[in-house]
Amino acid sequence: MSPMIARARNTRRRTRQRQAILSILPVVLVLLAIRAYPIVFAAAKSVTNWNGLYTSDYVGFANYARLLKGEVFWTLVRNNFVLLLNVPIQVFLGLVVAVLLHERVWGWRFFRSLYYVPQIISAVIIGYLFRTLFSMDGPINIVLARIGLMPEALEWLGNTATALGVIVFCLVWSSVGWQAIVFMGGLSAIPESVFEAARIDGAGFWRRTFQVAVPMIVRVVEYAVMLSVVWTFTGLFPFIFSLTRGGPGYETTTLDYMIYLRSFVSGVNLGEACAIAMLLLLIILALTVVEMKATNSMDDWSE
Amino acid sequence: MSRMDGRSGAGKLAIFIVQTLIALTFLYPLFFMMQNSLKTRPAYYTNPFNLPVAPLQFANFSAMVSQFKILLLFRNTLIVCLGTLALLILLGILSSYAFAKLRFRWSQPVYLAIVITLFIPAQVTMIPMYVQFARIGLVNSFGGVVLAYLAQFIPEVVMLMTANFRSIPNEIIEASEIDGANYWDVVRHVILPTGRAAIFLTVIFYFIVMWNDLFIPMVLLQKMDMRTVMVALASLIARYTGDPPYQFAGLLLSAIPAIAVYVVFQQYIIKGLTAGAIK
Repeated sequence: MSPMIARARNTRRRTRQRQAILSILPVVLVLLAIRAYPIVFAAAKSVTNWNGLYTSDYVGFANYARLLKGEVFWTLVRNNFVLLLNVPIQVFLGLVVAVLLHERVWGWRFFRSLYYVPQIISAVIIGYLFRTLFSMDGPINIVLARIGLMPEALEWLGNTATALGVIVFCLVWSSVGWQAIVFMGGLSAIPESVFEAARIDGAGFWRRTFQVAVPMIVRVVEYAVMLSVVWTFTGLFPFIFSLTRGGPGYETTTLDYMIYLRSFVSGVNLGEACAIAMLLLLIILALTVVEMKATNSMDDWSE
Repeated sequence: MSRMDGRSGAGKLAIFIVQTLIALTFLYPLFFMMQNSLKTRPAYYTNPFNLPVAPLQFANFSAMVSQFKILLLFRNTLIVCLGTLALLILLGILSSYAFAKLRFRWSQPVYLAIVITLFIPAQVTMIPMYVQFARIGLVNSFGGVVLAYLAQFIPEVVMLMTANFRSIPNEIIEASEIDGANYWDVVRHVILPTGRAAIFLTVIFYFIVMWNDLFIPMVLLQKMDMRTVMVALASLIARYTGDPPYQFAGLLLSAIPAIAVYVVFQQYIIKGLTAGAIK
């Protein structure tokens, strides 16, 4: 190779390198400034009594200790874990709906589009709609009274158990369509002959769903479960805000909602808010690691 | 052989009926909202299950426009959406082109680092971001919300576009470079046209996501006439709990733009979801 060609190649490689760095630089800067730096900042402030202004003295792990010893924090953790119930329910229903759609019976495209509509409507709208439906003088209580199931109106959103139940119901209602479409993507990769063979062997709908389809789309199910679990810890803010505002008391407050309360609304304590933020981040990290481990071991098992 | 073969008509009918019932559980709450938004408050409390009787009450809707100024809120939301989308597309295309086609050192670790930020919830970074933004005048400014959204969504956009751009054959890029095309020529004449599916999906999907979002604009936009539609709706609805028909009118009106985009472009969204390109 002549030295001239080699030099030309070198120059081209260097130009490429420069172009690449300039191409990604804006994204890297934005993420460093608005995503990475705030985490370091929050971690640093979580060990202070920061009030957002000038007071910001080092207090060691006092914020964490107070949180972990107090009752409220464990109520929040309980709420998050109770609300996790929405994941198995929406995954189960999503699988059933996906297999139904996969039969491609007349109108299935329309049904598929329709089931996804709750995902297109803001959680704020869905939350307020459900709050009205489950209010004291709302339609749910009216129907229950008329058919004689419950003579007295129930304050659905005023009791811990029923309020959490309504939130789970609302989350499932709004997410089943998403699950179904994601699972359908997995199902369409399975050769039709597999279902045909199962059908000829006399496998009914439920066996075809859970013993034929599910094992073949384990990967997709894992993906959906993981996203839904993380979502339950991070994405419920608009639902909680519009349904219950975290009440009564802290009975339906989740960790992510508490960060908002402690930062901007009641009992404002930014040091504590940062400590909760760090704990939430830890939980999500742990969940992600556990989920990845589980995925790996399942691969070993199937191979 | 079609998949219908070997299925009895009764089986098909049963599946159709079950799907219709499922469809009703999604449709009825929305229908309930619609029929009651056309009633007066006393009519709602007399019987919320009746169809509205004439004369229909469009007063709730006109109050949304005249008193609630919903069109101003639409405008604010649109500014935020379009501003963010422009930046998401521009920065998304440039960085994804680099990750997909320009080989460079540290490409893999940098890509991974960008993707990892996906797992950071908005709530975790909100307080420090708010303090930073307050210092440089980005609170109560559309620019602040645009920046916050950009940082929130760009990792997913980079993932989506990089995967898409990888399928562009290197030969096309090399051929146009031999013809003397520079960096911007390649972006405009190769990447833009061949990657338009991913770009288009980004636009419609994130438009819907941002239209519906509450947390970021609620914290960053506190001025009454700067609020986005969901922020204003959230505070209005809490004040009118005794008047569901009025609330329903507001909820319905503010849902229309996102639903309209979905109705027109649904096949792109469903295709993206099925492929796992968006979530």
